[in-house]
Amino acid sequence: MKSKKGTIAITIVSILLGIILSLQFKTVSATVGEGILPTQRAQQLAIELKKAQEERDAALKALNEVEDKIAQYERGEADNNVIIENLYKDLEKYRILSGYVDLEGPGIILEIQDPPVDVQYGIEYSIVDDLDLILQTISVLNAAQAEAISINDQRYTAYTEIVRAGDHIEINGVSINSPIVIKAIGDPETLESALSIKRGIIWTLRYYDYTVNLIKDDNIRIPKYRKLIEFVYSQPVDEDIN
Amino acid sequence: MKINRTNLVVFGLSVMLGIIIAVQFKQKVPEMIPVTLKSIETTKNEINALYKEIEELKIMIKDKEEKIEMYESILDGNENLSSVLKEELRKNKTIAGFETIKGPGIMVKMTDNMDENAFGQAFDMDLIHDTDVLRIINDLRIAGAEAISINNQRVLSFSEIKCGGPIIRINGRSIGTPIYIRAIGDPQVLSAAINAPNTYGYALKNISQINIETSMEDEIIIPAYNGVFQFRYAKPVREGD
Repeated sequence: MKSKKGTIAITIVSILLGIILSLQFKTVSATVGEGILPTQRAQQLAIELKKAQEERDAALKALNEVEDKIAQYERGEADNNVIIENLYKDLEKYRILSGYVDLEGPGIILEIQDPPVDVQYGIEYSIVDDLDLILQTISVLNAAQAEAISINDQRYTAYTEIVRAGDHIEINGVSINSPIVIKAIGDPETLESALSIKRGIIWTLRYYDYTVNLIKDDNIRIPKYRKLIEFVYSQPVDEDIN
Repeated sequence: MKINRTNLVVFGLSVMLGIIIAVQFKQKVPEMIPVTLKSIETTKNEINALYKEIEELKIMIKDKEEKIEMYESILDGNENLSSVLKEELRKNKTIAGFETIKGPGIMVKMTDNMDENAFGQAFDMDLIHDTDVLRIINDLRIAGAEAISINNQRVLSFSEIKCGGPIIRINGRSIGTPIYIRAIGDPQVLSAAINAPNTYGYALKNISQINIETSMEDEIIIPAYNGVFQFRYAKPVREGD
């Protein structure tokens, strides 16, 4: 070998470079977390997600517009005809009952956060494993005469199903993640006491280490149901006309 | 030190590598998001769910647009508004659960297990609880049930199903065992939702040993909600009011 000095210098520089590089990677993985994939895929997904969200928002807006238009037509005629006015009022009543109208009023907000991971034993579970508790909460709220209920802004209707899909929940076909926020309109005092009774829902949730927040609010807004219900199997029974 | 070509090349490449790495870090640092396998999976699920939601919304929009067309043809004087409104009213009343309806479906009969030593020490495991009924109802809804009743009480969004000692309360009324749950929908699918292995109904039957019998029927009648429901706290939100 011709120049020993040069080789030694380059070796030292290379070792330094290696150390610096590994330091850098250590710092990055310490701040970002283990198990990182190249960010490219994540970015792709993020873009797709954003696109889907925009599309959803656009569809929601379009739906609101057509509904406004329908309301205009229906109300426009209602002003100058008593029969139609009554029909319209009845129609509104049943739309509200089936959950097709936004509602607001006093009530409660219940927030359920997943229990912290047990560091010692590595036990991890979430509300996804305890769907019964959500079903029971709704039943208790109904027993306390709640007038409208939503779960993470999905209206609870007579057709609402709560399904486990992998590690998240689907309600009304919409994906829901922790924390679960259940809103209910009704008498705030009654609703609160029904939930926080000893050995009741909140007690049970706290017993299983869920973090639970219950807030009373004077102005809760519960969104309408956004799915079309069409009966395929059911037919009306012709009742004797009174 | 002799400067030869090899040294020069290595030097040049090192400098380039340094610059490239520096540029790379500078560029990525602000955009670096924590990406784990789990978060990628979650994002994928979210995207799928969103597309499903959009699909539903589109169906809804189409339906509403047809309605607008109808109203517009009324404005042209081709049809009668009150008959259209009546039809709308009937439809919404049915959906709200205030009409009696019939159709094919299944009947689920649940009775407590009266056997003295049915289930070990936990003496109340073989009794029917409100959770069991709630889970069965939820499973029926997942299977696309169009209407559900428990002992002829229509199950609606505001129906409570609550244990009250020896009985279960629904719609403010008390019912005892046996519990008859009726649902209208595709009988095969509904029946599978209760009987297929891995369902809650199957577990109730085989683990808790509660007697569950299902029968598919061609005509099931589900009564209208027979209570009075009045909104005292909730008010509709209407834009432009």
